[in-house]
Amino acid sequence: MKGNEALAEAAILAGCDGYFGYPITPQSEIMEYLMAEQPMHRTGMVVLQAESEIASINMVYGGAGAGKRVMTSSSSPGISLMQEGISYLAGAELPCVIVNVVRGGPGLGTIQPAQSDYFQSVKGGGHGDYKMITLAPFSVQEMADFVALGFDLAFKYRIPVMILSDGAIGQMMEKVVLPVQRPRWTEQEIREMSPWATVGRTKDRHNNIITSLNLKSDVQEEHNRQLQAKYKTIIENEVRYEESYCEDAEVILIAYGTSARICQKAVDIARHQGIKLGLLRPISLFPFPEAALIKYAEKVKGFLSVEMSAGQMVEDIRLVVEGKTKVAHYGRMGGIVPTTDEIIENVKNLIN
Amino acid sequence: MSEQTNPVLTFKDFQSDQEVRWCPGCDDYIILRAMLKALPEMGRKKEDFVFVSGIGCSSRFPYYVGTYGIHGIHGRAAAIATGVKLANPELSVWVMTGDGDAMAIGGNHFIHLIRRNINIKIVMFNNEIYGLTKGQFSPTSLIGQKTYTSPYGNIQPPFNPGQLTIGSSGKYFARVPGNDPKMMEELFVKAEKFKGTASIEVLQNCVIFNDGAFEEITNKETESENQIRIEHGKKMIFGKNKDKGLILKGFKLEVVNIGENGITEDDILVHDAHEADPTLHLMLVRLQNPVVMGEIRRIEETSYDEVYVERMESVAKKSPFKNLDEMFFSGDTYVVE
Ligand code: SF4
Repeated sequence: MKGNEALAEAAILAGCDGYFGYPITPQSEIMEYLMAEQPMHRTGMVVLQAESEIASINMVYGGAGAGKRVMTSSSSPGISLMQEGISYLAGAELPCVIVNVVRGGPGLGTIQPAQSDYFQSVKGGGHGDYKMITLAPFSVQEMADFVALGFDLAFKYRIPVMILSDGAIGQMMEKVVLPVQRPRWTEQEIREMSPWATVGRTKDRHNNIITSLNLKSDVQEEHNRQLQAKYKTIIENEVRYEESYCEDAEVILIAYGTSARICQKAVDIARHQGIKLGLLRPISLFPFPEAALIKYAEKVKGFLSVEMSAGQMVEDIRLVVEGKTKVAHYGRMGGIVPTTDEIIENVKNLIN
Repeated sequence: MSEQTNPVLTFKDFQSDQEVRWCPGCDDYIILRAMLKALPEMGRKKEDFVFVSGIGCSSRFPYYVGTYGIHGIHGRAAAIATGVKLANPELSVWVMTGDGDAMAIGGNHFIHLIRRNINIKIVMFNNEIYGLTKGQFSPTSLIGQKTYTSPYGNIQPPFNPGQLTIGSSGKYFARVPGNDPKMMEELFVKAEKFKGTASIEVLQNCVIFNDGAFEEITNKETESENQIRIEHGKKMIFGKNKDKGLILKGFKLEVVNIGENGITEDDILVHDAHEADPTLHLMLVRLQNPVVMGEIRRIEETSYDEVYVERMESVAKKSPFKNLDEMFFSGDTYVVE
């Protein structure tokens, strides 16, 4: 299956209630797959083509406010357009899944894959102090797996979850083991598990109002404190990463998504050449695998951040490492992927 | 517009050096050719023109005209063009857009541009599909239309661009078939002379994702029966033998055969594009058979940019200051050391 299609199928299987999207390359297959699959007949899931990404994210806002599992997907320019809605979702503490199949920017840029949306995913992107849990799949399998995981985390913490993929993973074909069908929640289940949801005010319920507005400064500060406390809990509990050959490594590559796949290969080649290279692949970009980096920072000659961007994640690595070891960046842009040769070349430069 | 006589320009002067990258057989080529022929006829300097677009197949247009242009943001061409026009009201500003760009994501800017009546020309390539993203339904796709995002038939009712224009207090609306370069060329020239927002819908065939959408209307064999070309001050007559016409029956337009049931040419409606009351214009834009082509509505009023410039000048005249410096250094001033 194609990465985008696996993700779409996984959405139906995850018991998703609604998908709202707008066509944009390279992820239109997600909505096309859903439309063709007619999940309305399978699970009752709604699929709607909106008039813009702004409409999509606000439909998500509405669906999430009603305690439903709702999602949208887009690619970089479309995600930029959604940032206002995302900030409000974060402010109102609403759970949802947002998929970004990243393409090169800025502006209209290119339709080729890139990883230049790291900042707008993990640093906010919209206004205000907020975070999104950001998961970075590096295979078609993970495209499928992260939908249900995304919804679980979104509801556990009442937070928007971003699946940060890229054009290469979205378009790539691989074998995939699909999860089993989860039922959609019943209205009764939603009432019980999401007391905040606007599901109709019966005698036993408060009149819930979904809002991110607090005009009083002290109330807003307290709200911000609570959000920050929640993000801290997420940092403590939800870090996900994978490491290979890190134990004895002289240099560790840090990469996610498509770059991580190339880095895996680069590690194999380098090991054959006798270079002690390792790979640490953050799966969650927020929360970032800080502890693992700190652990290795004392041991290695340096970290090389490999990204399909001008260097975004590298800033977080530097923040974590605090000068304990050398941190370099190697990246390609405009839809060009780094090659293993280029990566190894940069590793050698770092060692010398 | 400057009074000095402008140099005589030709088709070639407006050609660009860019390779045109639309699918072979697309009506977009016809629109481009018509525009390149129309531009020299407008009697303006080459540097007076700006083409502004959003995103979509239509929006590649600015690359293919040898004037200045902006390939902007999806749906935002109307807003960008507003900025261009107000920054330099002398320019002839053209928005090249499509059904998705103008009426889905850009619907908001589209209706507000029209409402303000800024002297900007909008050419909407309506192909009833998203072409650039490869075949999803658009806000003008028909109910039941099969596309990649409506494999079992579209269930969202379409917009009628004419209705939307007039509904947004539009002063100008024209429609033209995408396979008639001559009519397009004439319309573009006429629209350029209009002072206000001109909204032009081109029924544009997308050969790849929605081929034949307008076949019955635009096919050379059947067009004379299925479309009516109207002109201000002229009777609304159509048909191969010019034997059909439009009359008003109650609150509806009706097609009648001249010479039958005592109907003569005198009974046929005369098109009044200048009538401010939009009722009849709305009926004309909505008519399905025949489909109405030509300038359906053209109400000359003062455009926003004219009022704006006038207002600025009159305010400036009343102001005691000649310029910003004078204002800054008037009254109490302090020297901070
Ligand atoms: S996709 Fe359709 S509208 Fe776009 S260039 Fe090709 S034929 Fe024309």
